[in-house]
Amino acid sequence: MTGSATRSVRRSDLHTNLWLALLPAAALLLLLIAPLARLALSGFTGEAGWPGAAPGTWSLWMPWQDDYLRWRVLWSLAQAGITCVLAFALGLPLAWVLARFEFAGRTLVLRLLMLPFVVPTLVAALGVLALWGPRGLLSGWLGINLQDTPWLLLYGNLFFNLCMVVRAGVDALGQVNAREVAAARSLGATPWRAFWRIEWPAIAPWLMSSLCLVFLYCFAGFGLALVLGGQRFATVEVEIYTLVAHELQIGQASVLALWMLGLTGSVALLYALLEKRLAAPSRVEPVLRRPPQGMAQWLALLAALGALFFICALPVLAIVWQAWLAGWATWVGVFDAEVRAALWNTLRFSAMALALATLLGVLHALAAQRSVFWRAAAFLPFVVSPVTVAFGLLLLYPGWTASLPLLLAAYAVLAYPFVAKSMAAGLDSLPAHLLQAARTLGASPQRTFWRVTLPLLRPALRRGMAFAAATALGEFAVTLFLSRPEWATLTTLIYRRLGHPGAASLDQAFVLASLLMLLALLAFLLIEWPVAERDVAGRPVERQLQTGDLRHA
Amino acid sequence: MLELRHISQNYGARALLQDIDLTVAAGEIVALLGPSGSGKSTLLAIVAGLQRPLSGSVWFDGQDITRLAPEQRRFALMFQDFALFPHLSVLDNVAFGLIEQKQGRSLARARSLDMLALFGLAGHARHKVWHLSGGEQQRVALARALITQPRALLLDEPFSALDADLRVSLRAEFKTRIQAAGMPTLLVTHDEQEARAMAARAVRLSAGCLEPLW
Repeated sequence: MTGSATRSVRRSDLHTNLWLALLPAAALLLLLIAPLARLALSGFTGEAGWPGAAPGTWSLWMPWQDDYLRWRVLWSLAQAGITCVLAFALGLPLAWVLARFEFAGRTLVLRLLMLPFVVPTLVAALGVLALWGPRGLLSGWLGINLQDTPWLLLYGNLFFNLCMVVRAGVDALGQVNAREVAAARSLGATPWRAFWRIEWPAIAPWLMSSLCLVFLYCFAGFGLALVLGGQRFATVEVEIYTLVAHELQIGQASVLALWMLGLTGSVALLYALLEKRLAAPSRVEPVLRRPPQGMAQWLALLAALGALFFICALPVLAIVWQAWLAGWATWVGVFDAEVRAALWNTLRFSAMALALATLLGVLHALAAQRSVFWRAAAFLPFVVSPVTVAFGLLLLYPGWTASLPLLLAAYAVLAYPFVAKSMAAGLDSLPAHLLQAARTLGASPQRTFWRVTLPLLRPALRRGMAFAAATALGEFAVTLFLSRPEWATLTTLIYRRLGHPGAASLDQAFVLASLLMLLALLAFLLIEWPVAERDVAGRPVERQLQTGDLRHA
Repeated sequence: MLELRHISQNYGARALLQDIDLTVAAGEIVALLGPSGSGKSTLLAIVAGLQRPLSGSVWFDGQDITRLAPEQRRFALMFQDFALFPHLSVLDNVAFGLIEQKQGRSLARARSLDMLALFGLAGHARHKVWHLSGGEQQRVALARALITQPRALLLDEPFSALDADLRVSLRAEFKTRIQAAGMPTLLVTHDEQEARAMAARAVRLSAGCLEPLW
């Protein structure tokens, strides 16, 4: 369609899209873009611009001129890079084994790969401490002390990100065309040569794109680095928090945050370019999975499952074990008024943020149906670190700090992309004929939405909401910046308990982490509960999650 | 009576439909033939109100309905893939249009059950649509279209997803039911045999223009 008719239809679409986009656009503008702009201004001028802040102006190049800050930036880059190398070196063989071997429980293992994405970062950090900390299960048994080494942080990073790389690898290997592999083999290639010449070129872009996300999440991560990095191996995000919350060095923090923004923005751009190059997978004949044959293949499978268990499951189990060891008295004693209030805060903040995130996400997805730009905008809250967002909000709205609406709005903006991306993918897969049929049967656009679109997209909505709920439940950075003491949530309470000396406090932290883990597990069950999504012909549809849909809580 | 007056439409820079005139009388079935990509489905979408033409108008019983929304036209459109709602039961699929006409749910369901009995599908009322065979799904789609007593019926390749034997038996059944309903019907197909079996009159859409066949 072209000409005036097309223009008039497009104008009407444009008007509808503008109305739908109004609320999410306002949220992004006021709660993300404006705070980032304020932060950039503060970073460029190097001035505090905040009542009560320490005086002084800071050069934009200060992080590279000061030895201490330069170490922080370089270490942040290094730990993200090392995690990428480790995740790739371990993730590729693990993905190959899971993609090519058929064995009992394979589907369960693939489902469990989603578990780390709903584990709050603070719980994961505690899991690592439960294994390798001062009274850790493995450190105690092996008699080693990993405190004040970079290994704790790297282990925590791997806990979250190995699963993402493995999942991306399994999905990518599922797109390799069996006929191409067979052709290569018949032309004389050994399995090893066939992998590198046929399979690797097909999966490399997917793996590289997931490694970009790994780098981004590790570089901009906060909770893990705060708890596991210690004094020496903390990252820039932790430094920003320390400068703002403990030293009131707002100007210095702004300059650091501006560098973080620039560096994460560059990696995010690289990720977007890689994603753009990834063509939509065409229908291929996947390589058939076979049961392992011979000792070597069984050993490879066992080694893969063992590695996944050691890195991704053991920290979670260790928390439960440590909480169990804490004893009944700790369990009973921990439920004092403070914890009850924190639990109540966690639940009500998460529920309110989830309601707002759902509204924003659905509106964003509906508005994004015909706009590539608007679709990309949903990714924005994923690539900006929560610390940067919280700090920007603090600078922009100093009178609103410790206000509940701002806190909840910040929660919602960080969580709503999950809903938006899941719904947008659902809308893409919805056959246009169903909506047209509803219209010709007398349903208005609004009635069509309520009677056809929404019921059919319920699984996609539920999946997006579950991820959003997990994000809200485990939210830590924004709460630390913007909350009042009486609004402590389970995450902030765990952090406080970790700050208290003594074994009793650590035990209480493990019990609280178990409680938070239980809530996150409910979200996980919602995500991975097998629901038969069906297409028009009634064929079950299992939409695979894209790595871009994922960000750990 | 359904009338198309000087309908034109472009697809990109290409003129897909050029100055199309067509009239379908009450009770008449007119077949619209043409190769794939000739614009048959686009013309049907314009009649249904799902697309706005570049120029020209759609009239029904002397009234210009070009600017009416699809839900206000009361035309039933049947799709090649049936477009049954997979989240609803067979009964609720048939009742969908009646509920949109503000009939109470229980009355709509009772009437839909009667309709399903007429089509020999009462036993499937509570089933989800994917439990049905292709032919049964097509019957449900026709029942859903006819129950609202539409002013016109638009069929977009209604039998192309079915196997040959079923196609032949359903043609006769559909023709009888549509003629009994007595509304103007426009049948889009690329199968001339099907057009001859169903329609008293046929036109071919070629290079954007209509030419009469019989």
